[in-house]
Amino acid sequence: MDKPGVAEKILQQRQRILLFSVFVIATCGLIYELIAGTLASYLLGDSVTQFSTIIGTYLFSMGIGSWLSKYVDDNLLKWFIRIEILVGIVGGCSSPLLFLLFEHIASFRLVLYALVSITGILVGLEIPILMRILKKSVSFKDLVSQVFTFDYIGALLASIIFPLLLVPYFGLMRTSLFFGILNIGVAAFLLYQFQETVRYRKLYISIIMGSIVVLLVGFVYAERIMSYTETLAFQDNVIYSKSTPYQRIVLTKNRRELKLFLNGNLQFSSADEYRYHEALVHPGLQALPHAKSVLILGGGDGLAAREVLKYSNIERITLVDLDPAMTSIFKKNEMLLALNKRSLLSPKVTIINSDAFNWVRANKQLYDFVIIDFPDPSNYSIGKLYSTRFYEELHHLLTDDAIVAIQSTSPLIAKKSYWCINHTLAATGFITLPYHVYVPSFGEWGYVMGMKKYNWKHTDNLPSGLRFVNVTSMKNMFLFPPDMDEVQTDVNRLNNQVLVNYFEDEWAPYIH
Amino acid sequence: MSGRHIYTDMKRREFLKRLFAFTALPAIVSMPSACNDRGSNNKHIKGGIAGANHKTGHLLRNTQHLPAPSETKDVNILIIGGGISGLSARRWLGMHGVDDVLMIEMDSKTGGNSVYGENSITAYPWAAHYLPVPDVQNKELIEFLQSCGVITGYSNGLPVYNDYHLCHDPEERLLIKGYWQEGLVPNFGVPDTEKAQIADFFRHVEEMKLAKGKDNKYAFAIPVDASSADETYRKLDAITFETYLHQQGYNALHLLWYLEYCCKDDYGANLRQTSAWAGLHYFAARKGTAANATGADVLTWPEGNGFLMKALRGNDVGNIITNTLAYKVSIEDNNRIAVYCYDAEKKQSTVVRAQKVIMCTPQYINKHLLQVDNAERDGIYDIASYAPWVVANVTVQHIPEGKGAVLSWDNVVYGRESVGYVRANHQLLKASAQQVITYYLPVVDTNTTAARSKVHNKDYEYWKQYIMGDLEYAHPGITAYVSNIDICVWGHGMIMPSPGYIWSDERRVAQQPIDDKIYFAHTDLSGISIFEEGFYQGIRSAQQIINSL
Repeated sequence: MDKPGVAEKILQQRQRILLFSVFVIATCGLIYELIAGTLASYLLGDSVTQFSTIIGTYLFSMGIGSWLSKYVDDNLLKWFIRIEILVGIVGGCSSPLLFLLFEHIASFRLVLYALVSITGILVGLEIPILMRILKKSVSFKDLVSQVFTFDYIGALLASIIFPLLLVPYFGLMRTSLFFGILNIGVAAFLLYQFQETVRYRKLYISIIMGSIVVLLVGFVYAERIMSYTETLAFQDNVIYSKSTPYQRIVLTKNRRELKLFLNGNLQFSSADEYRYHEALVHPGLQALPHAKSVLILGGGDGLAAREVLKYSNIERITLVDLDPAMTSIFKKNEMLLALNKRSLLSPKVTIINSDAFNWVRANKQLYDFVIIDFPDPSNYSIGKLYSTRFYEELHHLLTDDAIVAIQSTSPLIAKKSYWCINHTLAATGFITLPYHVYVPSFGEWGYVMGMKKYNWKHTDNLPSGLRFVNVTSMKNMFLFPPDMDEVQTDVNRLNNQVLVNYFEDEWAPYIH
Repeated sequence: MSGRHIYTDMKRREFLKRLFAFTALPAIVSMPSACNDRGSNNKHIKGGIAGANHKTGHLLRNTQHLPAPSETKDVNILIIGGGISGLSARRWLGMHGVDDVLMIEMDSKTGGNSVYGENSITAYPWAAHYLPVPDVQNKELIEFLQSCGVITGYSNGLPVYNDYHLCHDPEERLLIKGYWQEGLVPNFGVPDTEKAQIADFFRHVEEMKLAKGKDNKYAFAIPVDASSADETYRKLDAITFETYLHQQGYNALHLLWYLEYCCKDDYGANLRQTSAWAGLHYFAARKGTAANATGADVLTWPEGNGFLMKALRGNDVGNIITNTLAYKVSIEDNNRIAVYCYDAEKKQSTVVRAQKVIMCTPQYINKHLLQVDNAERDGIYDIASYAPWVVANVTVQHIPEGKGAVLSWDNVVYGRESVGYVRANHQLLKASAQQVITYYLPVVDTNTTAARSKVHNKDYEYWKQYIMGDLEYAHPGITAYVSNIDICVWGHGMIMPSPGYIWSDERRVAQQPIDDKIYFAHTDLSGISIFEEGFYQGIRSAQQIINSL
């Protein structure tokens, strides 16, 4: 009486363990699919197409896996453990790998679909093999019912926790690595539970340990290249982030727009950057029909350069940006090249990666139009680039008729900061012409034009195809309603840096 | 060795920051334990002890071993010592048409306390590194600053200072209770009663700034010898600063720490080693004004006062002989001065015969050099005492930061032995993650001789360990980012204005020339080791010569 009872129990236990494995691997499988779909829509845009082609590819690859399962014959359990380890490694590493490659290769669609296919094939192998293991002890009717029940429950769980818990609190990279570890965990668990694995246990244990170490290292490294807190700090999904010696560059993407952040401050949104950049460039440049040479300080995204290149009279553009990482990604990445219309690759553009202050001090060439597109004066090293000393140094770079256009933060939110920039420029002998536009992502945004002698004029010498600046909209830019009216401020000098203080105080209630 | 500090009430944003500061506490509390056992972790840090010029100087102890003079040279005027006093005297003589002047300097380069070094990131000071915006009454100094482009013009009768030379913001911060506050006067977490006392002290010195004696001279002036002779103030030189503060009822802990920090910073001395007159002078003597700065602002350069030193020296250095030690000064029968010099490179001696000599050497050196009977003058040797310093230049790839104010020019840590560090590349305007920081440690000990042998006896590894421990306290984890530490040990870093020294008869007498032949100029004859004193010491001695011609 006792003997069959024990055997029965062992069999039942094996069954439970295997069904539990079905549940875990089903969750993992769907998670990989969701990660791939999400990544594709972040990185390539157009989420409907991306999501459906990724899901299609994934399911089709699962089909290939299922078909291939018939060639697996001997020692099914060993095969299953082997596959679990492989799924864990490939699936687990997929998202970090894609994030890393995004920066380096122009077209990574291939890599993306290859990874999706490999994961799909491996996942496709799992269930058929598992069913064949279970078939010895369970009737076909029960087998199909139980396996698919757990499979779909796992899928449901994955589809709920993915958007609600994993993406917001864990981030894509850590999610993928975590589920990779779970897959490998299943392999380890089976090795431990099933006596018949004893012959190859040692070898597999070391393989498992090795893979887990790799994934854990990835986990820690993922934390470093795209920190958890950072993912929380941005509304949208972080698709690229890099700490350079100078700043932290982050690109985020949602269905509608691509955003660039430097040290956490928004630089542009692809949805409305045209307003910002057209207003930065055209009011000044339309007044200079004979301008030939343009200097852009900052603006490593190439978006101001894109606007300048619309004037056929411009022969040379010199772009000075501190950070080679910035100009490099805006010269290489497909999505960013589409945005800046390959402006940084134009033969008219010379890129110099250098510190603007010292470059301006040392440079001897003359320019007809200068665009200053530095980040907002949120710290002392940037604050220096808005000082009297810096504007005094600018004088020797300018032809007599030259105009300088400076991005000058928000005259609505940071009224004192804005007028401080205007007053600082005026204190160094420039005639100033303040203006502003509305950029939805930024709010009311301010600029200041400066010139040695008043030679600004309102013309219709505008390139065709502008989406925001025209003769009428340009007129309105120079009107300041009372809530943005000029206020008294100190002048920003190297030894007082009042602008950084104004800026910090005025923006504190909004972003800090 | 850092700037003056403006006393201001806490700014609003500082108040906001305070609210978040407590989160930094655990990190700070855990620091001291972490910093002592780092010895094995700082092997990657390279460097050594630079400028071991005391070795040449110590030859003076046994001059009989030096080779006999093999040649003789005649000059009109010989200046011994190429520090600020000597260079200033040389410049003044040149400006007034006195020629045939020769300068000898023991070190391989001129500068004294204004020497500097350089690496691929920046130049950096080895000692003095700033000049406060001076009083326009210091006409000679103002003219000098204009000649070297520090003053670019005048506006409303006030000098306009070069933006590149005025210390850029952010200027100062203090790590206190785990939080970097702006400014050096303790404020963060200081009890209100203490704050009231601090405010009261600053009101007191503000009055002292304007105080004048019966002779209608300022009670506290620069150079010190321009100060009033009124006993009301001069008698303060007889007591210690500590006694004075006690008498005035100042006992707030944070105020006393701050005042001691100031004495250590400028004099290498504690409150008990500083006279009350000198302690007050630190705050009350500066009366600088400018069109684009205030008296609390300072002028600074990557190479520190090396910038001013080069300007004083000028480009024509043909009459400066370096690596040459004077080891005996005597009056010859023919009334000329014979100066025995030893060239430490060629290892040979020369006698320089001069009509007149200016000894721009410290008095503890003069004691060995002067072979002239002048008992009255000898008194100075017994009362002059000097503070030893250790200065390090640290190259760091990244500075792990805590809460509060960002990396500033002058960075001080509350309650430590050192007086903090200064960012050498602060004025460079170049965005760079790499920094060179100049770390200052006055070795304060009631027994200065013991302190001096300590600084000379400890080896490089000891100082490296000590400095890294101190930096780890302020910036946990910094060790991994430090690539190089070079250290300079100053056995006699600066004269200490000990009680009774500044207004002593000995100091007055020691400034007097001997027989209109041997003149003296050095900051130890002022009692305060600052650029302005050296500058005016040089002018005074040179003018004495000009007047005698």
